[in-house]
Amino acid sequence: MPSAPDTHSLNTLVHKLQSIATLSDEERQAILSLPARTRILAPRQDIVHDGDKPSQCCLILDGWTCRYKMLSEGRRQIFSFHIPGDIPDLQSLHLHTMDHSLGTITQATVAYIPHESMRELSTRFPRIGEVLWRDTLVDAAIFREWMIGMGRKSAFGRIAHLFCEMYLKLEAVDLAGDHRCPWPITQVDLGDALGLSNVHTNRVLQEMRGKGLISLRGSTLVIQAWDELMRASEFDPTYLHLEKRAA
Amino acid sequence: MSNPLIMKLEYGARLTDADRDILQDLSSRTRRIPPHQDITSESERPENVHLVMEGFACRYKLLPNGKRQIMAYLVPGDFCDLHVAILGEMDHSIGTPWGCTAVEIPRATIDDLTAHHPRITRALWWATLADEGTLREWLVNMGQREADKQMAHFFCEMLVRLQIVGCANADSFNFPISQTDLADTLGISGVHVNRVLQELRAKGLIAWKSKRLHIPDVGRLKAFAEFDPKYLHLTMRENGNSRAEPRLS
Amino acid sequence: MPRFYIDTDDGVFPVRDDVGHEFASVEAARNMAQRALPDMARQKLPDGERRTFTASIRDENGTVLYVATLSLVGEWMVPRSTA
Repeated sequence: MPSAPDTHSLNTLVHKLQSIATLSDEERQAILSLPARTRILAPRQDIVHDGDKPSQCCLILDGWTCRYKMLSEGRRQIFSFHIPGDIPDLQSLHLHTMDHSLGTITQATVAYIPHESMRELSTRFPRIGEVLWRDTLVDAAIFREWMIGMGRKSAFGRIAHLFCEMYLKLEAVDLAGDHRCPWPITQVDLGDALGLSNVHTNRVLQEMRGKGLISLRGSTLVIQAWDELMRASEFDPTYLHLEKRAA
Repeated sequence: MSNPLIMKLEYGARLTDADRDILQDLSSRTRRIPPHQDITSESERPENVHLVMEGFACRYKLLPNGKRQIMAYLVPGDFCDLHVAILGEMDHSIGTPWGCTAVEIPRATIDDLTAHHPRITRALWWATLADEGTLREWLVNMGQREADKQMAHFFCEMLVRLQIVGCANADSFNFPISQTDLADTLGISGVHVNRVLQELRAKGLIAWKSKRLHIPDVGRLKAFAEFDPKYLHLTMRENGNSRAEPRLS
Repeated sequence: MPRFYIDTDDGVFPVRDDVGHEFASVEAARNMAQRALPDMARQKLPDGERRTFTASIRDENGTVLYVATLSLVGEWMVPRSTA
């Protein structure tokens, strides 16, 4: 396993941050010289456990991960799905004990960056600190949107909403286009994320397929009726805050 | 010192006396906001950041079909829209069906704080991350807990959050919210809220009279709700700070 | 606006609505009563093979105007050894 700084992997972070704000050459250099160790992880493997006190955070380079919490009787609540460019445990920089777990869904390549280096970076470049902070705030906005779904939307609306959300997130980092995107999330994952039983999730997916709104084949989602899904799920992408801000 | 902002942010960073002076100064000009008024509306780009000093406010969203979901309660010491100074645009509204006292802080002041006061910045970032932990716990509540446990959990959370800012005693606090508010918080129907409240009362877990919530046996309610406060991230920073750990009984 | 009371029962814990709700019409009250049923079912299922959930609307004079019922009936279609 490589343990030397991996400049290629950090380009993913530069790319992600530049989709949000314009970086100076100096800022870009500072990010690229962060010490990062790259690891390849198997599917369905924990990266950080509930209760851990991590000293590093992890940047997803390839594959999908999710944040979740296990409850009694094997019940699981998934909070978020993460894709390349995300740092799903960035919050551990300031919250020392994990209140949930982070695990892989697919095989994933991740880069571990020490907290100390992230702190130095955001102290030296407050603007980078602000962009990282911003990223955690977008996560919070997504949590709120999921909460609205669970509280006040139908199963159909919740699933349609998640399709729209993940498609736009993937598109923003050039991993989706033409209403087509990778979809490694199982029906069980989907139910655990949206507070639905597996049986009901299956019903709704069949209904969506039957009406020709989507197709799901071999881990690829094709959204055939984007406008219809947006309308049915009352999807308004404002909460993703994807538009680039003037620096 | 009874400034709720300072009491809260002590949990987020090792503040110095100079930091406390800045925060005291920041929160001195309060304004009364009458009931049923929005503090910030969706899609606004507010020029000021709001901080609750007394009473309650909430984050909510109205859906096109008229349904409302409340996503968070803001208690004394909580910023309403700090994230807007960073994100730029509101994606939900902040209102107070009950009336509250708040401070308005110009965005430029926040920018100045984040540029020049690293400890306060860290505490503010901590506060937004702790809010995020609360959102996750609410997702667990809505997705996985039955309505009676969910409601009990919410009451436990309010007790602890109000205790750390000195707005609740060991087993009770003022709680002006209505059953409709509660329904829109838990994502269930108003009729079911009434049922669950009566069930919790019948079990002797709560009493809610004259807008004050009493919890006769806090340990029992916490056990019933499977409430573990770790998601609120209220571990005091180890440092020369002389303030004692609050009682989270 | 008229005030209606919605009483509910899940077969174990009957609740008489002591607060009431204001509705624009009795139809709006009916929608509210029906919406309560899946909430009640979610809290009490699964538990046994038979359960009836009801929500009824009372007006301010105490006259019951409407009753909505949701029933669960589970039945095995193959012989089961008693566990």
